[in-house]
Amino acid sequence: MALINVAAREIHGKIVYYGPGLCGKTTNLQIIHGKIPQSGRSDLLSIATETERTLFFDFLPLDLGKVHGFTIRFHLYTVPGQILYERTRVAVLNGADGVVFVADAQRDRLADNLQSLRELAHNLTNQGKRLLEFPLVMQYNKMDLPTALPTPVLDRYLNTIKVPRFEAVAVDGSGVFETLRAISKLVVNKL
Amino acid sequence: MCDLGIVMVERLDPSLTSLIVGEEHSAAIVLCLTRLMEETGATHIMLLDRAGQILSWQGGDQRQMEMMHLGALLAGTYATSREMARLLKEDGFRVLVQEGMREKIFTETVEDRWLLVVVFDHQAHLGLVKVLAKRATQSLAEILHIIVEQNETRRSQFRGQVRKAAIDTIDLLFNDDSTAESNRTTEKK
Repeated sequence: MALINVAAREIHGKIVYYGPGLCGKTTNLQIIHGKIPQSGRSDLLSIATETERTLFFDFLPLDLGKVHGFTIRFHLYTVPGQILYERTRVAVLNGADGVVFVADAQRDRLADNLQSLRELAHNLTNQGKRLLEFPLVMQYNKMDLPTALPTPVLDRYLNTIKVPRFEAVAVDGSGVFETLRAISKLVVNKL
Repeated sequence: MCDLGIVMVERLDPSLTSLIVGEEHSAAIVLCLTRLMEETGATHIMLLDRAGQILSWQGGDQRQMEMMHLGALLAGTYATSREMARLLKEDGFRVLVQEGMREKIFTETVEDRWLLVVVFDHQAHLGLVKVLAKRATQSLAEILHIIVEQNETRRSQFRGQVRKAAIDTIDLLFNDDSTAESNRTTEKK
């Protein structure tokens, strides 16, 4: 639920990057953090294991600028992707205004993507959200790899509800900002 | 408004997409937080929603960015503790206390929807913070109840004003990146 503080003239929203382990959720935030202007940037907070896998979440506050005197500020989060952390994902998803589902486009990760997507749908429903109305964007990441499935195949398996979806190579920044723009607009549309 | 008794805030509709806090209610929240800060000797006090977004905070501007990160971490910690409670078949943990060598953090839920966070050092006593925070949560619940009640009217006023301009701003902001890489993008309408 977005928070609109009239006295402080701020609009706050929470966007969560969800997906299976090693699909590139943290990379998305790192790229955003690296490219946004200093004026709208804060530190990227990462609660990670010793091997730099996300343990709790990554967090990046992002100022998008002012509209009618209101500062739009989105809080970007990632969830830990490993299966072990299912309940932590529930905790991080709490109060989300929009979700980016990052899928790993490689053929051998399709089952992991499907499992993660089913879990997301289950968790959102449990939190009282109507999935078909909830701001959701899909990103097919690692599309540069030779093992990546073609987009129509990914669509058939992962995007049956036909949400906006983007091809990406997050590690070099491709598709990262298009995804962020799309989810930002969906969230604002729901204000 | 700070001395009103216990009022239950009704459960928020989970499909509610935004909550608008007007200036008069912000002022009432600030009054409660300021009073709590004076009475406890706390260094910082915040009111968060469960997503970690700060409704109001007191204690000077110099640590604003730290407070934002702290808000996110505390909301995550609270959400995690709820999951732990669920596993233990508890109703929930209403209070979290974190004690360091110099600073302590006391967090209490307000109607299971918001979090009151008190940061204090050795000059304040945990027992006093607990008692006064409990009283403050009751007052805050009253204010938040009114905010929720009036939300739909405010939303319809606000929506028309800001939404279109916000979307235009987002397009403008992301324009450079998206045109440079548009050949990779396949937005599906």
